[in-house]
Amino acid sequence: MIHSIAQKEFVSILRDRRFGVLSVLVLALLLAATLVGRASYRTLQQERVLAQSTVNEQFRNQPARHPHRVAHYGSFAFRPKSGLSLLDSGVDTFTGSAVYLEAHQQNSVNFSQAQQSGSLIRFGEMTVAFVLQLLVPLLIIFLCFGAFTQERETGTLKLLLSQGLTMRQVAWGKVRGYSQAVALVVAPALALAATLLFTGEEFASGADLAARLTLFVLGYAVYFFLFVVGSVVVSATQASSRAALIMLLGFWIVSGIILPKATANLGASLYPTITKAQMDADVHEQAQHGINGHDPHDKRAEALKASLLKKYGVDSEEKLPVSLAGVQMAAGEEYSAKVYQQHFAALNATYERQNRLSDWAGLLNPYQAIRPLSMGLAGSDFTHYVHFQQAAEAYRYGLVQRLNGLQASMGPGDKERRLDAHTWHELPVFSYQTPALAWALPHLLLPMGALLLWAGLLSWLGFRLIANTTVA
Amino acid sequence: MHLFWILFSYEWRHFRAAKGLVLMCGLLLVSGLYGIYYGTTEIERQRQHLAALPELTRRNVAELKVKFPGPADAGDIGYYHTAFAVHHPDPWAALSLGLRDVNPSYVKLRLLGLQNQLYATDNTNPMKVLSGNFDLAFVLVYLFPMLIIALSFNLLSSEREEGILVLLLAQPVRPATVLAAKLAFRLTLVLALALLLSGVGMLWAGVPLDGRIGTWLALTVLYCLFWLAVALVVAALQRPSAVNAVALLGVWLLLVVLVPSLLNLGVAAARPVPQGIELTIRQREEIHAGWDRPKAQTMNRFFALYPQWRDTATIRERFVWRWYYAFQHLGDVAVAPQATAYAQGLQQRYNLVEQLNLLSPAINVQSSLNALAATDLPSHLAFQRSATRYHDSLRAFYYPFLFRKVEFTHADYAQEPTHTFTSHPELATTYRGLLKLLLSVAAVYALGALLLRVRSINPR
Amino acid sequence: MTYLLEAKQLRKQYADKLALRGLNLQIAPGEVFCLLGQNGAGKSTTINLFLGFVQPTSGAAFVNGLEVATNSLQIKKHLAYIPENVMLYPHLTGLENLALFSRLAGFRYPESELLTYLTDAGLPPEAVRRRVDTYSKGMRQKVGIAIAVAKHAQVLLLDEPTSGLDPKASNEFSELLRRLSGQGTAVLMATHDIFRAKEVGTRVGIMREGELVDVRPTAALNAQELEQLYLTYMN
Repeated sequence: MIHSIAQKEFVSILRDRRFGVLSVLVLALLLAATLVGRASYRTLQQERVLAQSTVNEQFRNQPARHPHRVAHYGSFAFRPKSGLSLLDSGVDTFTGSAVYLEAHQQNSVNFSQAQQSGSLIRFGEMTVAFVLQLLVPLLIIFLCFGAFTQERETGTLKLLLSQGLTMRQVAWGKVRGYSQAVALVVAPALALAATLLFTGEEFASGADLAARLTLFVLGYAVYFFLFVVGSVVVSATQASSRAALIMLLGFWIVSGIILPKATANLGASLYPTITKAQMDADVHEQAQHGINGHDPHDKRAEALKASLLKKYGVDSEEKLPVSLAGVQMAAGEEYSAKVYQQHFAALNATYERQNRLSDWAGLLNPYQAIRPLSMGLAGSDFTHYVHFQQAAEAYRYGLVQRLNGLQASMGPGDKERRLDAHTWHELPVFSYQTPALAWALPHLLLPMGALLLWAGLLSWLGFRLIANTTVA
Repeated sequence: MHLFWILFSYEWRHFRAAKGLVLMCGLLLVSGLYGIYYGTTEIERQRQHLAALPELTRRNVAELKVKFPGPADAGDIGYYHTAFAVHHPDPWAALSLGLRDVNPSYVKLRLLGLQNQLYATDNTNPMKVLSGNFDLAFVLVYLFPMLIIALSFNLLSSEREEGILVLLLAQPVRPATVLAAKLAFRLTLVLALALLLSGVGMLWAGVPLDGRIGTWLALTVLYCLFWLAVALVVAALQRPSAVNAVALLGVWLLLVVLVPSLLNLGVAAARPVPQGIELTIRQREEIHAGWDRPKAQTMNRFFALYPQWRDTATIRERFVWRWYYAFQHLGDVAVAPQATAYAQGLQQRYNLVEQLNLLSPAINVQSSLNALAATDLPSHLAFQRSATRYHDSLRAFYYPFLFRKVEFTHADYAQEPTHTFTSHPELATTYRGLLKLLLSVAAVYALGALLLRVRSINPR
Repeated sequence: MTYLLEAKQLRKQYADKLALRGLNLQIAPGEVFCLLGQNGAGKSTTINLFLGFVQPTSGAAFVNGLEVATNSLQIKKHLAYIPENVMLYPHLTGLENLALFSRLAGFRYPESELLTYLTDAGLPPEAVRRRVDTYSKGMRQKVGIAIAVAKHAQVLLLDEPTSGLDPKASNEFSELLRRLSGQGTAVLMATHDIFRAKEVGTRVGIMREGELVDVRPTAALNAQELEQLYLTYMN
C-alpha cells in the first residue's frame, strides 16, 4: 500500500513540468559547483604546494649562516586544502592560507581569499555544500508543500482513505516518493564528486577519504529526509497549500539565513576577544616579567647563567663549552612559547564559546547542525583550522629550538662564526597532514546527534500529528 | 483619485486582519533594531580596540626607557619600538559594516621592511566572519525584500482565489487603480518601516548631518520600490498565489544569492590577482640576501634613492643599524612593483564587480551602502596606502638619527610621528549605484506596465 | 428604441473551444431575459462579455448604447452584477462589505440606509455586524443582492443568483426582480431553473453550444411547454 502511494507520488512528480525545470536547475548548479570547486581546489592547492616547495628549497639552500640568522630567516607554512573541501569550503575562504614562521614571535595567518575580494563575498559562495544546505531544501519545500493540502483541495484524499489506507500510510508513501525524487536530483552530482575525488591524482584517496565521504552523504541524506518529513507534516496540518507554503518558506528563511547570522553575532557580542596587538603585548610582558609577574626575564637569564657555570664548574662565560647566548635564547623561546600557548588556548577557548551558541542552535535548527557536520567532515571547519595553526606553531617552535641548540653547541664566541650550508639540509621542512577522521569525529558528535534527534522526533511526533489530523 | 483612497484605506483594514503579516512586520522591526544595536556595538568595540593601542605604545616606550636608561642608538629603538597605523571607522560604518571585520582596523609597524607587516591580520573568529554581519544594511538588503514578497505575493491573486475580484471589478473601478492602491499601501508600510529603522540607526550611530543622509534614504526607498516593481510584474502575470510566491522567492534567490555567488566566481576568474604571498616571500629573500651582500653595494643602491645621506661615513663595522635598515628598505623597493600590482589587482576586481552589479540591485545597494559607509575594499586599500606613507614618515624620522649618528634621548620618543586615518566615503560609487538602481526600478516598472497593458486583468 | 443590453454578432473563441458563435440579443428597459442552457452552453461567457471581463473575438456588446470593449469603466456605472457564488472580504462584516462596494460604486450611504438594504435583501439583522467568514453561502448571496440593489443600476446581470438560497428567499428575490423591472431595470439572468425563469422572466432564450437556438416570450408558454421545449433542444 505504502509502495503504491510512493510510486504514484514519484510518477506525478516526474510528470510535473515545474519539478522538471527546478530539478534540472538545481542539478546544473550542483554539477557546476562541483566542477568549480574542483577547479578552485586545483588552483589553490597548486599555488600552495608550489609556494611550500619554493620556501622549503630556499630554506635548504641557504648559504653558510649563523643559526640565529636562519631562525630569523624562518620559513612559511602553507595550509594545504583537504580533499573534501572542494564540496564544502567551510571557513577556508575567511581564514588565511600562509603563516610566516620566525624566531621570537607567532605571526598571524595571512592572505585569506575573503581579503582579496570586495563585499561580494558576503553574499555567500557557490559551493556544493551551499546548494545542498540551502537550495535542495527549498526544492523539497516546493515539491512537498501541497502533499496533503492539494489532495484535500481536490478531494482525492477522501477517495484514498476510502480505499482502506490510514493517514499514516499515505504520509509514509508520500515521504518515500518524494525522497526518491530528491535522490534523483542529488545523486548524480555526488557521484560525479566521488568520481573526481577518487580518480583525480591530486587527491590522496584512501580509507579516510572514503569514510569522510560516506558520512558526508549520510549526513545530507538525513538532512533531506528531515525536510521531506517536515514539509509533509506541515502540509498535512495546514488548511491550505498557500498557508503550508508560506509557513515552510518562513522556516527556511529563519533557519537558513537569520538564525545562523544572529547566533554567530550574538556569540561574538557575549564573549568578546582581545586584539592580536593586545595579545602580543600581553605575551611579551609576561615573557619579560614572568607568568606570575615575579620572575623577570633578566633574573631568569642570570639564574640560568649561574647554574650553567656551576654545572660545568667554570667561573666565566668564555670558559663554557656551550654558547651561553644559544642556551639563553632556547630558554627564552621556551618560556615565551609557553606564555603564547596559554594565550592562544584562551583565545581559541573564547572562540569556541562564541561558536557554541551556534552549535547548540543546531538542536533547534537543522541547518546549524548540518553546516558544522559538513565542514567538519570536509576538513574545512574552525577545529581543523586551529589544528593547522597548532601544527605550524609546533613546527616553528621545533625549528627555532633546534637552531638554538645548534647555536649553543657552537660554544662561546659563536657570533663571529657561521655554520656550513649543508647544515640546513638536515633540518626538517614543514609538511602538514590533515588529521584523520577519528580525530575530527568527537567534535562532530553534537551536530550528528542533533540531526538524528530531529529525524527521530519528526518521524515520531510528526506522524502522530498527521494521524490525528482531520480528513476533510 | 477618490476611489484610490477608498481602496487604500481598506487595504489597511485587510492588513490589520492578517495577523501573520503584522507579526512579520514586528519581527522585521525587531531584527532591524537588533541590526542597529549590533552594528553600533561592533563599531564601538573597534573604536575601543583602536583607543587601547596608544596605551600599548606607551607601555612599549616605558619598557624601552628602562631598557635604555641613557641616550641610545636610534637603531635599537627602531627595532624594538612598535607603532600603530589605525583605521578609524566613519560613523556610518555602524549601519553597514562591510568588510571591517574581515580586514584589520590597524597595522602594527616597526622600522623594519613594510611588506611583511602590512598584510598581518587581526584575531578573528572564522565562523563569525563566515556567518557575516547582522547589520542594518543586511536587514535592508536581505530581509526587506522578503517582507515585500510576503506582503505582495498575492496582490490580486488572493482576491481572485477568494472569488472577490469579480464583484470588485464589476464596480466602476479600473484594475490598475486597484493594483495601484494595493502597491501604494504596501509601499507606505514598507517605507515607514525602512525609514523608521534608518532614522533610528542614524541617530543611534550619531552620523554627521550631511548629504549622505539623503543618499542613504534614496537608496533605501528605491530598493523597496524595485522589489515592489518585481511584485507588480509577477502580479501582472496573473498566476495563482502559490506560483507567485515561488516566482518571487526565485527572483530573490537569483538576485540576492545566485547572481552574487556566480559573479564572485566569474570576477575571480576574469581578474586573477597576483599572489600576495609571492611578494612576501620575495621580500624576505631580498632582505636576507642583504646580510650576505657587500655593504658598499647595498649602501650605494640605497643612496641612489636617498642621495641626501650619501655623504655619511663609509661603513667599516661588522654590523651597523643604518646598513640594516637600508637593506630592509631595499627589500620593500624590490617588491614595490608586485605590491602595486597586488593592490591594483584587488581594486580592478572591485571595479569589475561595480560595473557588473547592474545585474543585481541587491549587490548594487550593498556595495553602494558600503561605499557610503566607507567599509569596503577601496577604504582598506586607502588605509594601506596611508599606512605605507606613515611607514615612510617613520623612516624619515629615524634616518637623521641613524645616518647623522644622533643619539636618541627620552625626549625624542614624543617627537615620533603618529598615525591616524579615518575612512572616506566613496561617494562617486554610491551615486553611480543610485543611478543604476533608478534604471533598474524604471525598467522593471516599465515591464510591469507593459504586461498590464498587454494582458487585461482577468477577474476569475 | 434604445436597448439597455445589446449583443451584435458576438463571437468568443477560447484557445480550445468556440464558446459563442455570433450571438444577437437585445434587452429593453423593464425586460427580464432568462438564459437557459446546460453547463458550457455559453451563458456565463455572455455575461462576462457584457461585464467586459473577457474580450469578444468579433462582434460587440453594448450596455446602454456604450460599446463594452471601449468603455469598460463607464458601463460598470450602469450595471450591477450578482455572481453564482458571492464571495466577500472574510474579515469584514456584511455591513462593512456593503459600505466598501457602495463607495466604490460612488454611493456613500449613512449606516441606517446600509442596514435597510441588507435587511431588505433578507439578511437577518443580528448578522449584519458579524464577520463574513461566519456567513453561510445564502447569507453571502443576500449581501450580494444588497450590493446590487444599492447600486441603483439600470442593468442587472445575474449568474445563477438564487443558488444557495432557500425557497423562501428565492421567492423574495423573484419579487425583488419584478419590482426592479417594473421600475425600468433590464435584467439578464443565466439560470438552470426553468420554473423560476418562467416565473420571473419576460422572455427566455435557450442556449446550446454557443448559440441562442430559441427565444420565446414567457407569456406565450406554460411551465410544462417550456420544459418540453428545453428538453427538445437538449437532445
